Amino acid sequence: MSADNVCKRLNIPLNRVEGDLEIQVEIEQGIISQARSSGTMYRGFENMMNGRGALDGLVMTPRICGICSLSHLSAAVQALEDIAGTTPPDNAIRLRNLALMVEMLQSDMRQSILMFMVDFANMQAYASHSLYSQANARYTPLSGTSALQTIRETRRILEVVAIIGGQWPHTSFMVPGGVTSSLDTFELLRCRMILEHFQDWYETNILGCTILTWAEIKSQDDLLALLRENRACRESDLGFLMRFGLEAGLDRIGQGPDCFLSFGGFSLPGETLVPGVKDLLIPAGFARCDQVRDFDPSEISEDISYARFARQPAPTHPFYEKTTPDFTDHDQDRYSWVKAPRYAGQVVETGPLAEMVVSKDPLFLDLLRVQGPSVLARQLARITRPARLLPAMLTWLRELQHTLDHKFYHRVQSIPDGMGAGLIQAVRGGLGHWVRITDKQIEHYQIITPSTWNGSPMDGSGAPGAWEKALEGTPVKDPENPVEAGHVVRSFDPCLVCAVHSVQGGKQTGGIILGGGF
Amino acid sequence: MKTVYWIQGGGCGGDSMSFLSHNFPDISELFRVLHLELLWHPSFSSYSPGGQDLLLESILQGKKILDILILEGSVICGPSGTGMFDVFKGRPKKDLVQELAQQAQVVIAAGTCASYGGFGADSEVESTGLQFHKSQPGGLLGKDFRAGSGRPVINLAGCPCHHDVMAGALGAVADGTSLDLDEFQRPREWYGTMIHQGCTRNEYHEYRVEESDFGELGCLFFHMGCAGPLVPGPCNKLLWNQQSSKPRAGVPCFGCTDPEFPRNNPFFYTQNIEGIPLSLPKGVNRAHYMVYKSMAAAAAPVRLKKRTAKV
Repeated sequence: MSADNVCKRLNIPLNRVEGDLEIQVEIEQGIISQARSSGTMYRGFENMMNGRGALDGLVMTPRICGICSLSHLSAAVQALEDIAGTTPPDNAIRLRNLALMVEMLQSDMRQSILMFMVDFANMQAYASHSLYSQANARYTPLSGTSALQTIRETRRILEVVAIIGGQWPHTSFMVPGGVTSSLDTFELLRCRMILEHFQDWYETNILGCTILTWAEIKSQDDLLALLRENRACRESDLGFLMRFGLEAGLDRIGQGPDCFLSFGGFSLPGETLVPGVKDLLIPAGFARCDQVRDFDPSEISEDISYARFARQPAPTHPFYEKTTPDFTDHDQDRYSWVKAPRYAGQVVETGPLAEMVVSKDPLFLDLLRVQGPSVLARQLARITRPARLLPAMLTWLRELQHTLDHKFYHRVQSIPDGMGAGLIQAVRGGLGHWVRITDKQIEHYQIITPSTWNGSPMDGSGAPGAWEKALEGTPVKDPENPVEAGHVVRSFDPCLVCAVHSVQGGKQTGGIILGGGF
Repeated sequence: MKTVYWIQGGGCGGDSMSFLSHNFPDISELFRVLHLELLWHPSFSSYSPGGQDLLLESILQGKKILDILILEGSVICGPSGTGMFDVFKGRPKKDLVQELAQQAQVVIAAGTCASYGGFGADSEVESTGLQFHKSQPGGLLGKDFRAGSGRPVINLAGCPCHHDVMAGALGAVADGTSLDLDEFQRPREWYGTMIHQGCTRNEYHEYRVEESDFGELGCLFFHMGCAGPLVPGPCNKLLWNQQSSKPRAGVPCFGCTDPEFPRNNPFFYTQNIEGIPLSLPKGVNRAHYMVYKSMAAAAAPVRLKKRTAKV
């Protein structure tokens, strides 16, 4: 209805993200010409850390986020181990990886089915889509067949975290030097049964084929052939995502900055059968198009030109920056309370698609070559990530059977004075904790989360953040129901409770509100 | 059918994530059997923006009956009492929570942040709870607030709130069963026993076989900062995710059901006088406790001292 409007500003609440997010878009001729993103809640976590006990980050920071609390625990413990100059025993690495990977499986499935594909059941937008009635039967909240299965299977897989670390969410079982308890044979068996059950469900219902078959898909042609020739794949949630998405044009929207960053994830134990790159299961790197360079943490800085924080002279590395919200300034130019992290000055995208590009996955390199990054490619990377994780998880469980009498923890006397960083590849992408300890207390704590990278505002050069950029050029058929804009932002799996130093933006002229609250 | 409206304030979404771990076999079946209609949940609902506005409006105008209001996350009042750190459509969310609470028959605070302020209660964020600010009655709604049913806010403390407590409280409210509340308005059904009850390390605690480092099997109360004997909750009785609890897995209890959570003293460390914790189990006489514990330690069997008893 707005296609003939010359310029229109929109104000649309969107939920199903962790936390509150508001996006203002300008629409010209039915196409988004500019987007600005800001969070609507300030939680002040970093400033709460100062002066607390050295280990308190292990208890406080998981509580930043209810859906990825183990990601924060992992980054927090790695920062402390960086300061203490210690690495945990192999068994502790296996258990930490297993728990964090379970959290990732949980989040990827919930995001794909409960948060993203549920929009396919949006009647206003898709009543005339040929797959609408099927989408409705599958993805309607709390009753669709896939939605119910996902709730049940993600609940069950999380039991593995409870067996390893006591509970999910919000455990603190990773401590400097290892993990707080070992497993016995029977606990290990239970973990294996739960994981194998999950893998069976994932292959049957989500992929529609085995993980081995999926690993053979190396190009867009392979993918289309699989969907054409394999009925189970076509009918699976993966197949449905592809068929629905292609008809809806999701392969043609949401390009983004076309620069990708992975901090690298899942340290390999010293002795393991799981293959990796430079001791990591998920490689680290920075990619522009398909040119991959090594990841250098010193290239990270945060720009606050358009963010509402007390001015600092120049983009600053997180070891040295401060988070001082400036609520008095109502300067319209400073429209966001999320800082703008940049890598070597570049706007980057992080998350599962970035992992696929940085690890030079042939299927995703081909998809990007043919079509460029898109909503569909991003979602495909997320819904198939478990296929990369599960084989490693089952291998580590088998290795543990033979190493249960080895160490799970070695003593770390106390955390010495010093600076350290915990950089991991979390569920939604690169996550960093930068910590300074002085006299057994936290003196400095800065956190940059994946959604801060993906959902950043403009920087001093005027370059928009990743999903701001991805929104540009997106057609919006019905401004009252801008489902396309929602698809673009959701394909980054936004998690705004994690944007720990985001602050309410105050007055708005029009925008999309990706709201957690109402 | 009773209606449920779920709001998130200053929080992490962890109470919703915990709730998803309720095993009935799932929360959708729970709502069905309890005849509860979930009008809105920020993570599960898929109203269009317009539909969401209409729903909210009809509740606030009293056209749509609101039986149960659930708040997850704290009420953010900063900066300087304005609430502008957490807004919805330009309005402080705290005002909307207050208006919704006036319409509701029953108000439930899911988790410690919604109950007592939790994270940010002492910071620039100025978090507070629905009817308490930490241990002090008051909070957003004031100590005299009563929901339509005549009942005060039900505080389901915990960080996060235990999934089965959430489900149990919803069941009680759906069923019209009155919950007996303690001084901090936590239902005694789940907060009438200490976290310590049911801990698999209890035999170690009994004989004061204590640990001063991670990775061992003994008790975590005396040196490792475990608050299990100090705060109430069902973690070792109902278990988490149908499997375990933090203390069972060697992680000390952090006391997250306490109105003062998160405590200011360092975690993983027990403040003590002559090896006896400064904070003793509720109602215990210090002198008696010291005698009892020294005798208990002397009586400890070898199988515990050698850590051969599993936990």
